[in-house]
Amino acid sequence: MIYLRQLWAIAWKDLLIELRSRERVGSMAGFTALVGVLFNFAIDWTAVRPDEIASALIWVTVIFGGTLGLGRTFELEAQDEAFQGVLLTPAPRDALFLGKVLSNYVMVLVVTLLVLGLFGLFFALDWGDHPIVLVGTLALGGLGFVAVGTLFSAVSSGTAIGQTLLPVLLFPLLVPVVIYGTSATGRLLVGRPLDEVEGNLRILGAFALVALAVGATLFRYVVED
Amino acid sequence: MEIAVERGRKRRPVGSGIRWTSVVTTLFGIALIVLLHWMVFFWVNTEATMGIVQRIFYVHVPAMWVAFLAFGIAALSSAVYLWLRDERLDMAAVAACEGGMLFTTVGLITGSLWGKIAWGTYWEWDPRLTLTLLLWFIYLGYFMVRAATENPERGRRLSAVIAIVGALDIPLIHVSVLWFRSLHPQPVVLDTRQPMNLDSDMLLTLMIGLLAFTVLFLGVIGFRYGLERSRRTLDIRLARRTA
Repeated sequence: MIYLRQLWAIAWKDLLIELRSRERVGSMAGFTALVGVLFNFAIDWTAVRPDEIASALIWVTVIFGGTLGLGRTFELEAQDEAFQGVLLTPAPRDALFLGKVLSNYVMVLVVTLLVLGLFGLFFALDWGDHPIVLVGTLALGGLGFVAVGTLFSAVSSGTAIGQTLLPVLLFPLLVPVVIYGTSATGRLLVGRPLDEVEGNLRILGAFALVALAVGATLFRYVVED
Repeated sequence: MEIAVERGRKRRPVGSGIRWTSVVTTLFGIALIVLLHWMVFFWVNTEATMGIVQRIFYVHVPAMWVAFLAFGIAALSSAVYLWLRDERLDMAAVAACEGGMLFTTVGLITGSLWGKIAWGTYWEWDPRLTLTLLLWFIYLGYFMVRAATENPERGRRLSAVIAIVGALDIPLIHVSVLWFRSLHPQPVVLDTRQPMNLDSDMLLTLMIGLLAFTVLFLGVIGFRYGLERSRRTLDIRLARRTA
C-alpha cells in the first residue's frame, strides 16, 4: 500500500508539473498535429485510400511524438541536481520507475487520443465496428512503448548527447509493437472481426508486461549515481 | 576490482595485456578460414538448384552464428557485471560486442549479396535479414552510449542495460518479423527457409566454417580483451601520474 502511495506521489508530481507548464504534452500535441498536416501534402490521396495506410500513419506519429515527450522525462530534474533529491526519498527505485512510467503513460495516452481524433478528421476515417477495441489496442501497445521508452530515456539522459540518442536506442526494440500494433489497428479500421486481432492484443500485452518488469528491475542500475 | 597488472610484483609493460593464447587462437582461426575458403572454392560440390551462389552460405551461416553467440556472451557478462561489478566482465562484454558487430556486418553483406542472386534484389525483408539489421542497430546503440558518457563507470552500467534489454527483446523481434513475413508473399525465386538436404561434403564444409569462425572469433575477443586491459592500465597510470 505504501508502495502504491510512493508510486503515485512520483507520478502525481510529474503530472502536476505538466498540468502547470503543459510543456511536454504541448510539444507532443503540436508535433503530431503538424505531422498530420504534412502527411496530407506528402501523400497522393488519389493513389492510396486513407484507411489503407491510416494505421501506419497513426502508429508512426504516436511513436515519434511520444519519443519527443519521453526524451524529456528526466530533463527537468537534471537541472540543479534535483534528481538527487528524488533519489534520496525513501521510495524504492522500481516505484520511482513505475511512477515515471505512469505519468508518461498518461501524457502519451492524451496524445494518442488527440492523434486519433485529428487524423479521423483530417483523413475522414471511419473508425470501424469496434472503436473501443481500437483505442484499447493503441493503449496496450502504448504501455509497452512507454515502459521501454522511460528506461531508455533514463539511459540517454545519463549520456553527454542526451535525448538525441533515445530514438537510436528505442526504435530497434519497438519493432514487435509496431508490427503487431499496426496490423491489429489496420484490421480494426477496415472492420475485420475481433477474433482476428485477439492474438495481436495478447502479444502487445505480453510485451508491455515484460517491458515493465525488465524496466523496474534494471532502472536501479541506470540511476545509481 | 583493480587491474591485476597494477598490483603485481613486477610491472609488466602495457603492451603485454594480450596473451599468447589469443595470438595462437587467432592464427589457428585464420588458418581454418583459409582452409574453409579452399574447400568452398575448389572442393565442395555445387548445389543443384541455387548453383554457384550457394557457396556464400558457408561464410554467411557461420558469420551469423558468431554474431548471435557474441550477443549472448555480451548480454550474459553484462548481467553478471551489474551484479558483481568485476571490470573484467565489462571488458569481456565490450570485446564480444565489437566482435559481434564485425560479424553481423559480414553476415549482412554476405546475406545481401546472396539475396541479389537468389531473390533478385540486394535487400529483401526476409525475417532473418531483418533481424540481423536490427541486431546491428542494437550493437550500434551499445557503442554510442559508451562513446557518449564522460564517466566510464556510468558508461559501463548504461551499456550493460542495453545489452541485457536487447538480448531479451531479440526473441520477440524474431517472432514478430517471422509473423510479419507470413502476411506477405513469399520470395518467388527461392525460399531459403526450406531445410536444405546437405550432402556429407557440404555438411563437412559448413562444420569447418562454423569451427573456423568460432575459433577466429574467440581469438579476436582475446585480442580485444587484452587491448582493453592495456588501455585501462594505461588510463590508471596516467591518472596517477597527473594526480
